[in-house]
Amino acid sequence: MLQLPLAHLLNEPIGVAHFMVVGAVMFVCGALCMATKRNALGVLMGIELVLNGANINFIAFGSKYLRNDANTLGLDGQLIALFVIVLAAAEAAVALAIVLNFYNNHDSVDVDRAKQLQG
Amino acid sequence: MNLQSIINSLVSDTVNTSLPLFKPELVLCVTIVVMLLFRVLPLLDKVPPFLLALVGSVVALWSSLPLEGLSTWANLERQELFTGMLVYDSVTAYMKVFLMSFAVLFVVLSRLTGIADREDGQDYYSLVFGSIVGMCLMASSNHMLTLFLGIEMASVPSYVLAGIVKGRQRSSEAALKYCIYGAGTAGVMLYGISLLSGVLGSAHIPTMAQRLVEMDIPASLAAGEGVEPLIVLVLGGLMMGVGLAFKLSAIPFHFWCPDVFEGASAEVDGFLSVASKAAALALLLRVGLGLGYSPEAELAAVENRTEVTAIASAAEQATPPTIRLVADGVADELGEEAPGEISSPLTPIRKFFVTVVALIAIVTCTFGNLAAYGQTNIKRMLAYSTIAHAGFMMMPVAAAVSLAGHSTAEASDAVSAMLFYVAIYLFMNLGAFAIIAFLRNSMQSEEISDYAGLINKAPWLAVCMTVILFSLVGLPPLAGFWPKLRVLQALLAAGGPLLIAVLVTAALNTAISLVYYLRVAKTICIDSEPDTSRPVAIGFFPWAYVLVITLPVLIFGLLPNGIAAWAKQAADNLF
Repeated sequence: MLQLPLAHLLNEPIGVAHFMVVGAVMFVCGALCMATKRNALGVLMGIELVLNGANINFIAFGSKYLRNDANTLGLDGQLIALFVIVLAAAEAAVALAIVLNFYNNHDSVDVDRAKQLQG
Repeated sequence: MNLQSIINSLVSDTVNTSLPLFKPELVLCVTIVVMLLFRVLPLLDKVPPFLLALVGSVVALWSSLPLEGLSTWANLERQELFTGMLVYDSVTAYMKVFLMSFAVLFVVLSRLTGIADREDGQDYYSLVFGSIVGMCLMASSNHMLTLFLGIEMASVPSYVLAGIVKGRQRSSEAALKYCIYGAGTAGVMLYGISLLSGVLGSAHIPTMAQRLVEMDIPASLAAGEGVEPLIVLVLGGLMMGVGLAFKLSAIPFHFWCPDVFEGASAEVDGFLSVASKAAALALLLRVGLGLGYSPEAELAAVENRTEVTAIASAAEQATPPTIRLVADGVADELGEEAPGEISSPLTPIRKFFVTVVALIAIVTCTFGNLAAYGQTNIKRMLAYSTIAHAGFMMMPVAAAVSLAGHSTAEASDAVSAMLFYVAIYLFMNLGAFAIIAFLRNSMQSEEISDYAGLINKAPWLAVCMTVILFSLVGLPPLAGFWPKLRVLQALLAAGGPLLIAVLVTAALNTAISLVYYLRVAKTICIDSEPDTSRPVAIGFFPWAYVLVITLPVLIFGLLPNGIAAWAKQAADNLF
């Protein structure tokens, strides 16, 4: 019988591990999105996915229902998630303004057009 | 304890302990609000933003000084502010004084170069002050939340500052690259933080260190059991390192640095290369010492040592030779190389941190110096020079963390080398970028070749630039020599094959860097003027400013003891 990794999660009650898998999938999707999208807005969406993947981890680690030992993050986890949501909004606002400024100067939001400065 | 008493103790802790020590940041925040309010009110909008910014930064500098004068750093008690979110100790105080002095100098520079004009001065100064508040949070963070918020608060305004010059293609491109790299690495870092604090069950750094002690990593490594959490910890640590490496512009996350420095204006480059690097180094130190050093654990390790040696000698007689060999191998792996090294539960963490930081420092320093060689744009060259110096300044952090286990006196020497380096670096790099900005205003060029024959057109400026370049190399008797010497001493004290390799790299790199700094000095002082050269006119105030920044480079070269003593006092109290 083929044993897939993480297959045992399917038989268990919902716990921290399940949320971490969702968070990890979001993180990887976001990282792929950042690496492959050529549209600056697509890259920004990838960044949001990465931040929210981390947020899911924080909330799962902080929940006393999912993890019944003394080592939960407790309220810290949820507070960090709240702060990160606010921060992601602020960062998105600044990033969109910068993308708009780039568009005004280059008539495009393609990150491959940003090649006047060669690193 | 009922709710009432919890709230009462929280309020009294916040108002009586935390807020007074948080004054400099509060002053900057108030300045930002006042500047933005004055702009919309009638009559008050005639007040130049520069005045408000200058007053705000001077008051912030004044309130960041310790109450009983600068020499009392050694007696500052380590205090946790805001229920453990921030830590106030001598290093925090030192970094705050450093950042606030930088703020004052930077506000004056922005006024003199005219980058912050009456139209958008408020925006510019608010961004600078917001970023500096974030850097103060970075330098005093004691909790993963403040650490991350500090990094973001310092970065987000910097993205805008990189693109503050409107209507320039290069500037907008620099801002876009900075923003995307920065936000991406911050996301990876946050994921790493979530793994670390999830496994350790806390986001408060001293508590995390305590949990690491409880996990007893040496025992689980020796037994080969329970390594799954360790893999997650290593992964989380490396992901967190991504964010730190981005702020330090360390390899392999340095790509943004030359592009941003070339695209942004020279003043902003000065800001990024001095303040942002200094805060990132302080943060690296906090993370390294916070997670890899815990006074109680070290004391306990010393006490246990006698017992352990007794047990080990008994075991040696009892066990058959094959098992003894395996046990010896494990003991070697866990770090018995440095004589006098006491194996504490945190030794593996320290070894991991030191190895990663030392390797990155070697690569960063060497790459920065080699890449600087072929540059034709002065800002781009100084960007690579900044990368190389960041590598250099990471070295004492590695040495300090490696020494923290067995000799706190030598470890504090290493920390003081880093703090001293940061202070001297302020004058050198701010001076260099100030000169570049003034020359840009007058010549409209930032190419090294256009600086040919500068000595004839603006002799004093050329002399100042040459002094700064020599000091950046680290030639005595200029100020840049002493911190480099301190760094090498700290590495030598730390010993061990890896850190000796770092020492050799650092010494070789100083020689490599000689070539490209002196090439610029030669262009300025010896090369003849091109026929198409434009005249250079520098006013009195810019000239005086350059002199004020450059003189310390000479003075501290001859009399380095004042700043070195402050740095030493600040570092001594850390352990």
